[in-house]
Amino acid sequence: MSKRLNLKERYKHMTRLGWETTYQSMDDVFPYDTYEGIKVKDWDAWEDPFRMTMDSYWKYQGEKEKKLYAIIDAFAQNNGHTNLSDGRYLNALKLFLQGVTPLEYQAHRGFAHNGRHMRGEGARVACQMQSLDELRHAQTQIHTISHYNKHFNGFHEFPHWHDRVWYLSVPKSFFDDARTAGPFEFMIAVGFSFEYVLTNLLFVPFMSGAAFNGDLSTVTFGFSAQSDEARHMTLGLEAMKFMLEQHEDNVPIVQRWIDKWTWRGYKVLSLIAAMQDYMLPESPMSWKEAWEVYFEENGGALFNDLARYGIRPPKYLEVCAAEKDHLSHQVWGVLYNYAAPAAMHTWIPDDRKLDWLSEKYPDTFDKYYRPRFLHWREMEKQGKRFYNGSLPMLCQLCQIPMAFTEMDDFTQTCFRTSEYKDDKYHFCSDGCKDIFDYEPEKYVQAWLPVHQIYQGNCGGPTLDDVLKWYQFNVGSDNFDYVGSEDEARWNDLQGKGEKPADKSAA
Amino acid sequence: MSYQVVIEPLGETIEVEEEQTILDAALRAGIYIPHACGHGLCSTCKIDVLEGDVEHGDASPFALMDIERDEGKTLACCAIPTSDLVIEADIDEDVDAESHLVRDFTGVVTKIDTFSPRIKGIFIAIEDDGIEFQAGQYINLKIPGLGDEYRAFSIASPPSENNLVELNVCLVKGGKGTEWLHTQLKVGDELKFSGPYGRFHAHTSEPGPMLFLAGGSGLSCMKSIILDLMQKGEKRPITLMYGARNQDELYYWDLFRELDDEYSNFTYVPILSDEPKDSAWTGLRGLVPTVADEYYEGQFSGKKAYMCGPPPMIDACITTLMRGRLFERDMFMENFYTEADRDTKPASPLFKSI
Repeated sequence: MSKRLNLKERYKHMTRLGWETTYQSMDDVFPYDTYEGIKVKDWDAWEDPFRMTMDSYWKYQGEKEKKLYAIIDAFAQNNGHTNLSDGRYLNALKLFLQGVTPLEYQAHRGFAHNGRHMRGEGARVACQMQSLDELRHAQTQIHTISHYNKHFNGFHEFPHWHDRVWYLSVPKSFFDDARTAGPFEFMIAVGFSFEYVLTNLLFVPFMSGAAFNGDLSTVTFGFSAQSDEARHMTLGLEAMKFMLEQHEDNVPIVQRWIDKWTWRGYKVLSLIAAMQDYMLPESPMSWKEAWEVYFEENGGALFNDLARYGIRPPKYLEVCAAEKDHLSHQVWGVLYNYAAPAAMHTWIPDDRKLDWLSEKYPDTFDKYYRPRFLHWREMEKQGKRFYNGSLPMLCQLCQIPMAFTEMDDFTQTCFRTSEYKDDKYHFCSDGCKDIFDYEPEKYVQAWLPVHQIYQGNCGGPTLDDVLKWYQFNVGSDNFDYVGSEDEARWNDLQGKGEKPADKSAA
Repeated sequence: MSYQVVIEPLGETIEVEEEQTILDAALRAGIYIPHACGHGLCSTCKIDVLEGDVEHGDASPFALMDIERDEGKTLACCAIPTSDLVIEADIDEDVDAESHLVRDFTGVVTKIDTFSPRIKGIFIAIEDDGIEFQAGQYINLKIPGLGDEYRAFSIASPPSENNLVELNVCLVKGGKGTEWLHTQLKVGDELKFSGPYGRFHAHTSEPGPMLFLAGGSGLSCMKSIILDLMQKGEKRPITLMYGARNQDELYYWDLFRELDDEYSNFTYVPILSDEPKDSAWTGLRGLVPTVADEYYEGQFSGKKAYMCGPPPMIDACITTLMRGRLFERDMFMENFYTEADRDTKPASPLFKSI
């Protein structure tokens, strides 16, 4: 009897996708994997640590779907949304569906591209599987959250909003940038920076936030996705190790990408920071604590190991470290200012939340941020709720309004500029300016929502014109939580307050 | 109560204690099973249970689904054996590893040599057919003065001398086990031990010159491996770089000098880190990684590196080798941890065994 094949041999026989082409040159078949300057001596050195075959992939993923949908159905049948901690929590889900779910879809597209265009078959197979995972994640998230769309506002046009609305252009631009880069840079941008270094900072706040606030269905898709995440994280690490080990000339290129994509990812996370500290009625941990555990400790161990390859920690970590006491408060301030053109609600934290923030941010919150919130609360009481009437200048690179302050003067907006071909470009930080200066030709093409409004490309000159073009239900999707239809509906579900108008009539 | 777990495709048997996970036991036995989250969420460490039963512990129903449980799969990071097991994990077969059964031995101390102020050579005679092992492996020695406590020591003698086991015991400051062996053990004493253990050995099927980097009593397994290679007629270039503090601590200097003279493919490079400046020492001075870096002008690719000794030395060597373009798949190492190293700092999942 012949010997039973071990997993590695079985995998080899199940996944033969690589051969030397004969009637077309390999360079013509794989036109994109050389121009970035990454030198590869031996594609066979790519190790796929998972060795998953397609047949088992379908089987397992199909089984996960069955499980997830059983729980989603049960959640819907039991009116699970009535067990949330508070109606404000819904806004974290809105941000997730509008800002993160479309990224899963973008990741699907990006990995599909890489799954076709990397010369090594090991890399191709791994990217193809991840591409399918990402599509599955996008779908399951949409299906899970669709339950809330039956009962609340701010969920109905998320893909449309993702392509147009100002705060959503922040995550969108990250993936647009990654997907228009070469295949190796995409692997560092998404596989390494996003899926490895920053993934816990993205998912833990949402998933443990969901668990803390009674959202069982979101917790379940979190688990379902997490069973794929390890494969993604490992792919990101393997891609980076592969580049670093193949040729020493690759090291400075990879270093530049690590610098760039850690910073790009960090800026995207500033929205998560605000969500975590302000939108979750019950908070498992503060943004600062999450940053310390998931970036400073875990990332620190990683960068210690990477030092052996001659890779140093990403640039501007000292800025991130200084900003961890400020980031979420500054961003929530911006969201509160511009709640009119946003498809979610904002509010001034109640006293219990303010005290929690003081406890979590003892060095900064009472000194810089509590007085500002109290001032705005006072204005609300007087019927003068403060809405910023102008549109903010956006950073040319990360597309966040330029509202961050200098870290040595918290009353001074951090503001950087570069000139390129007689035009002036504005940045929120040295990190963003650096990235622009290295590749200005790419970033002068950025689609900046505020610029586009002023150029007349967003429906018209007035706020109403723009909101119509955004396809907002004005007065339902936007403005404050207090007094909103969502609040009325939530109170009704809890058996307090007056019965709200039917949502379809809004 | 503990269970025997055979890990395929290696065919290696490990001992798993009650309430211990398979992953933990495997890692402690030096067998790398791919893993990531470590608490049942990610399914990286999924294995097949071919024979026997396990409890699945906290494995998430998504990371280990019901159909998989029915098919005999489990997550090594959560699974606890409830019987002896045969499992199959996704690990590469090591064609150079020999498989020897772990047995219990009782021997008699026949000689205690003082090699250096800190290192003693302990020679233990065993009866009958002796111990079968692969050069580079270690034994667990029961320390008579410490009740049931065991300490691990590499075998310094080559496998050809299977009735006389040589151990090199370095006195660990504040270490109860080594202190007892240094001060209380006498010729004629009976010692109990079990072995062989460990997966540190020469990878002779892989091409390329061999570079051995050792420090302190880490010389012990290098001695066993090098003598074994020479006895078997190894022809490829072999270099031993051995670091000690000063001439007093440099042991087996004569043995390796003679080997260097006798075999044209063997080079012995002793290195002293703390030798008085004005001494008669004409050899190299400095720390092993620094000297190795200069010796090879920062170029290590193509070699196979073997490291044995104190963890900080090995750590520094790895960095030097990687800067010199030699990576994990071409490195093999045996860290001489002491009881004091139990609280190790968190490692990232970047490397498998570094």
